[in-house]
Amino acid sequence: MAEFLTIAEASRLIADRRLSPVELTQSCLDRIGRLDDVLHSFLLPTPERALADARAAEARIMGGRSRGPLDGIPIAHKDIYNTAGIRTTGHSKLLEDNVPQRDSTVVRKWAEAGTVMLGKLATHEFAMGGPSFDLPWPPARNPWNPAHFTSGSSSGTGAAVAAGLILGGTGSDTGGSIRGPAALCGLSGIKPTYGLCSRSGVLPLSFTLDHTGPLAWSAEDCALLLQGMAGYDPEDPASADRPVPDFTADLAKGAKGLRLGVVRHFFEKDHPVADTTREHIDRALDVYRKLGAEIRDITISPIEDWHACGFLILTVEAYAIHEPWLKTRFNDYGELFRDRIALGGFVRASDYVQAIRRRRLLCLELQEAMAEVDILVSAVQPTEAPPIEQVPKWGTLEKPSFTIPFNLTGCPAISVCTGFGTGGLPLAMQLIGKPFAEPMLFRAAHAYETATEWRGRRPPLASA
Amino acid sequence: MKPKISEAAFAVLVEQTGLPLTAQQRATLYEAYPMVEAMVARVTQPLPREAEPALVFTAEVR
Repeated sequence: MAEFLTIAEASRLIADRRLSPVELTQSCLDRIGRLDDVLHSFLLPTPERALADARAAEARIMGGRSRGPLDGIPIAHKDIYNTAGIRTTGHSKLLEDNVPQRDSTVVRKWAEAGTVMLGKLATHEFAMGGPSFDLPWPPARNPWNPAHFTSGSSSGTGAAVAAGLILGGTGSDTGGSIRGPAALCGLSGIKPTYGLCSRSGVLPLSFTLDHTGPLAWSAEDCALLLQGMAGYDPEDPASADRPVPDFTADLAKGAKGLRLGVVRHFFEKDHPVADTTREHIDRALDVYRKLGAEIRDITISPIEDWHACGFLILTVEAYAIHEPWLKTRFNDYGELFRDRIALGGFVRASDYVQAIRRRRLLCLELQEAMAEVDILVSAVQPTEAPPIEQVPKWGTLEKPSFTIPFNLTGCPAISVCTGFGTGGLPLAMQLIGKPFAEPMLFRAAHAYETATEWRGRRPPLASA
Repeated sequence: MKPKISEAAFAVLVEQTGLPLTAQQRATLYEAYPMVEAMVARVTQPLPREAEPALVFTAEVR
């Protein structure tokens, strides 16, 4: 068996009966045992459950009853997804002993697709407050350099996928929590269109900005995982009642003819990124030109406008969710979460309403800006991953976020690795699509990934 | 950056929330409050009177 497999590769080998789901699962469990004392990506491994799932998958496949491309694939869930009978904590002392009765919809759908569940993954506290060192569990570490940050909040998923402990996993994204870890851990991670994937049974942070989605090694893998989690769910009031497309259908179409609009002022003027980050985005655009894409610059409102609108809504909605516990168990939260969210309690109701009025105008503005292009291009993170001890407490609020604009608009957005910086850590760009245009987004991301060498490199720590 | 709001006025805000903050915690949040003031200033630029919110009420509840 190869040292590292993508989901697409493993799926083909399993279908051809050249790879045993039990052996694949055992190799992931061995890797967890070897590396996770350093990475802290798992809050709770579930090896017995994993091997039971793997044996069941193997029996189905050997009996000619495969459930499809995810049957027998080792995954894990961010610890804000409810798992029946398995502790779900939000990485918080407040839910240290919480054992849900039911699976979240996405957990159930992946289980029905035949995935093998290896456990529950680290997150920032309640998907917001990290990296924290005052919680019952330590923060996840970046496999490219464990002294460095994974970004968050889907930090455990980012670390575990990059190190090959799992082949894919769930994340959630309220202001960038899938795309950030995907970027800093060198993965692919998609925040799907708002309403495409159910949020039912997932601990909420901000009702109107929360998205569920997958992280994996490649865009193709994300497409396969999204296929297993998308679809209407009557238990989620925001769920979109519309047919689910084939997310892999356009992967082979290449980038020829795609029209890319670069929101250059976001990352050059409004919030200038590191030179290497910008240079790698420009090199990626050169790749797209060679592949036959058309590229132009697009100008929209300054990123500070999007950031202000997004974070006001986020903090107010999160405060409303957590207010009862903030009033009674304030000091049971980690410092980062409680202080960031407490600010939401000081926002006037009329200012929140103005923010959601502004949000609609920003959505209309983006729709108009995308009329003549298929995909937008921007940054995900300003630099390579910083040392984890140096992440500023107020960093997510002080500097404009490159990702929250597309939580505001609900558009699908994917992080794509663009290479490695001077510190040897991953760099990334963000591709943004029109609502429910995930197949085109996967097409563009896959075209770039297959035209470049970056998917061939894994963290040295995991390869040793 | 110094907050535009006075410490006394901020104390009233804290009182209204009912959060059980220590003096140190209140001071920390007071120092961070300019970030909220800056965000509020951006979203409260004048809007057309007819600008509807992004979240609209629908009579059919799912």
